[in-house]
Amino acid sequence: MVRAIKGTLVECDPSIKSIIINIDKEKNDYIIEDLDDSHLLIKDVMVAQLKAKLEERLKETVPFVEDDSGSDKQ
Amino acid sequence: MAPKRKASANLTGTAKSGRASASSTPGPSTPRDIDSDDEPNSPEEPAENEQDIQKAVDRFTLAAYQDKVKRGPIDSASRYFGDNGKRDFSYLPLKPDYKSRPIWIDPLRGRIILENFNPLAEQAKDFLITIAEPQSRPTFLHEYSLTPHSLYAAVSVGLLPQDIVNTLDRFSKTPLPQSIVGFIRSCASSYGKVKLVIKDTKYFVESNDPEVLQKLLKDPIIGPCRVQGTETVTNAPSMGGLVIPGTSNAAGVKQAQLQQGEHQHPETTEKTQPENPFDALREDDDDDNQEAVHAFEIPDTSVETVQKRCLEIQFPMLEEYDFRNDDRNANLEIDLRPATQIRSYQEKSLSKMFGNGRAKSGIIVLPCGAGKTLVGITAACTIKKGCIVLCTSTMSAHQWRQEFLKWSNIRPEDIAVFTADSKSKFPGNTGIIVTTYPMVTQSGKRAYDSQRMMDFLTGREWGLMLLDEVHVVPAQIFRKVSHSIKSHAKLGLTATLLREDDKIQDLNFLIGPKLFEANWMELSEQGHIAKVQCAEVWCPMTTEFYDEYLRTQDRGLKSNLYVMNPRKIQACQFLIDYHERRGDKIIVFSDNVYALQAVALALNKSYICGATGNTERMQILDNFMHNPAIRTVFLSKIGDTSLDLPEATCLIQISSHYGSRRQEAQRLGRILRAKRRSDEGFNAFFYSLVSKDTLEMYYSTKRQAFLVDQGYSFKVITQLAGMEQMEGLAYNTPRERRELLQKLLVDAEKKQAELTEDTDDLFYTTSKKRRVRRTAGTLGELSGGQDMAYIEQKKSMNKTLKKKPQQNVFFKKMAREKQRLKDQR
Repeated sequence: MVRAIKGTLVECDPSIKSIIINIDKEKNDYIIEDLDDSHLLIKDVMVAQLKAKLEERLKETVPFVEDDSGSDKQ
Repeated sequence: MAPKRKASANLTGTAKSGRASASSTPGPSTPRDIDSDDEPNSPEEPAENEQDIQKAVDRFTLAAYQDKVKRGPIDSASRYFGDNGKRDFSYLPLKPDYKSRPIWIDPLRGRIILENFNPLAEQAKDFLITIAEPQSRPTFLHEYSLTPHSLYAAVSVGLLPQDIVNTLDRFSKTPLPQSIVGFIRSCASSYGKVKLVIKDTKYFVESNDPEVLQKLLKDPIIGPCRVQGTETVTNAPSMGGLVIPGTSNAAGVKQAQLQQGEHQHPETTEKTQPENPFDALREDDDDDNQEAVHAFEIPDTSVETVQKRCLEIQFPMLEEYDFRNDDRNANLEIDLRPATQIRSYQEKSLSKMFGNGRAKSGIIVLPCGAGKTLVGITAACTIKKGCIVLCTSTMSAHQWRQEFLKWSNIRPEDIAVFTADSKSKFPGNTGIIVTTYPMVTQSGKRAYDSQRMMDFLTGREWGLMLLDEVHVVPAQIFRKVSHSIKSHAKLGLTATLLREDDKIQDLNFLIGPKLFEANWMELSEQGHIAKVQCAEVWCPMTTEFYDEYLRTQDRGLKSNLYVMNPRKIQACQFLIDYHERRGDKIIVFSDNVYALQAVALALNKSYICGATGNTERMQILDNFMHNPAIRTVFLSKIGDTSLDLPEATCLIQISSHYGSRRQEAQRLGRILRAKRRSDEGFNAFFYSLVSKDTLEMYYSTKRQAFLVDQGYSFKVITQLAGMEQMEGLAYNTPRERRELLQKLLVDAEKKQAELTEDTDDLFYTTSKKRRVRRTAGTLGELSGGQDMAYIEQKKSMNKTLKKKPQQNVFFKKMAREKQRLKDQR
């Protein structure tokens, strides 16, 4: 019998893909298939959760650049 | 809006006034830290005194002049204006014709925002540059700040406070806030009360007003700095010989005043009594009304402390040199050559220095390649006294001497160089000495002739001290020397008056305020410096590298990973190729020496780093300048400053010192001299290669802040068109990239990859020591067996060896001998 899993195709930068794979490593419950350098097939139900996690992770890796000029602080 | 620089580090004036208010506002949690000065002899001050001083300090900051007017209603939008809505100035009334007026004024911080597109902007700019310090000057909106220093400078060129207020009011869109008016008036009125003069190589604090001096002497910080004891008594008569006729008269006036003072303060009699005779007395040379001038001596070491303190208590010390009336120091025969023409902005900067016929100490900020040297030489030619020039390296010392000979008519023997290998003096009684910072700041035992030279330098008065690349100066070691070599006027020259630490403010006391700061954009428009196209190239990290980047916790390895990103190396190769074909000469900068070597070798170019020998350096640079076949050179950070390569027209930066704005600006300075090309409207190109989604992006934004403030705009390039099709592109296959990654990781393991040089600052190199490091590892590592694949070849070799045990004749003989001996026994 054929089992079908509903998936979403995600297209992203190689670096973002790296982060996603990194997230997936913990439980292996996001990625269905690693297609190529910039494409991934993600479980449909997990997309929202992944988005949140990705956001969090991005904040950690790339420091937030303040928009305000430093001179305004005084 | 692009994030701008951090204020604390480089806004000399504002930051300082800002700090005065921030650190000295009395708060229960922040005890005031006056004694943190490097003067050990400042005593603990009594508590009641502290309040008095506090008042004085508060009076001096803009905060003291805040409007008592009620603020406007704070509405829901207010919080968007910063500082919890405090900066919502919508309550300020607009003038009816506000549209035709160019400036806004922030009543809280004294910031002035200028609309550069306004028809009146040109006039306003001319005026603002005189009374305020430029902070940021991009295309459309300029930001200036009113600081005590800038106002002093304005007053010293003859502007009256009333004029300043009126003119500001004329340009302002809103009626001038009372806070600003009060601030301007008070700064202007306190200016020029106290002077710091040098007499007989000793420092004196001088004032026309005895009460001011009394106040200074009673100050808990300045008081103890006064030179006590007998030496001032012996000074008094010798001083008497120096004064011009009319002294007895003046002395009488002074005596009377002092007695009056004693009557007024009977409780301080025993304190003032011993001081009276010591107050050195002298007639001011150009004082018409024969007013007495009072002075006391301070030791060399505490000059900076006293200066700092005087500024805090609202008596900024004037350091002006009336060189035309100075007869005791011999005149130097020096003049600019008749053919020499100085440019308008150079003239403007010098007119600020010599605004009232005297030489003011201070700093002139001009971009690299805009003729700082000539400004220095012209200043020396104006003062015409003995002059000492300090620069960063022996090479630039010799360059300075050459420039002096080129632009002025000074006799070659009158200008001497004092470096490790030449220690000559000038024959006459005055002249010019060119030396380096390390030479005069070296502590400890000196060679005999260096010591003699140092004694010579410290033992006389200099008319002018020229400090090249002055941003490297604020170092503890230098402080001692800056006051031990006594010069009447000091002129600092730099392109980038900023440091990432707070020490740039110290320059205000070590040298003087910023006198002039050129507008980079204006100069490049007028063709004095090159027009530069700046670009930030975003290189995506390859998957393998980014995986590793995310995994590792090692900061060093992380930085190596984003620097050595193969896509970045490819972009570098592509840009080099593109610009070589256009006929540009290219410099590639990399702070990371490991990456420098790796990339240079991968792209087959020559490189120079700290370890490169002198002859090899010269050879590479010569080839770069004159050999048309060599178009690219790789430099580590040793090339950041004072390397003169006018040929270079393109600059690519692959790794840099974190968020250092100064380095970015200095590097840009390497190509500002490029004027030979002008196609497409630009004559030089500046590329900064950045790995996407890494820390580098963050640093890059910080680094650009200074240049953005100068009006440069960075174009972001996310993809270099045609890069993929380029032939012979390095690391094009995944296999090559993996190999590079493996090599990088292995080298990182061996800690070889951390070969970054720490020669950013002149003074931080001294403590370079190799230390023993203990690491855990296997024996295999020691023998080099780590990570090595092992293949056995000629497996049958052992068998053949077993079959035919080849033995040397000698051993055969030995064996036979042994056998024979055994048999005998």
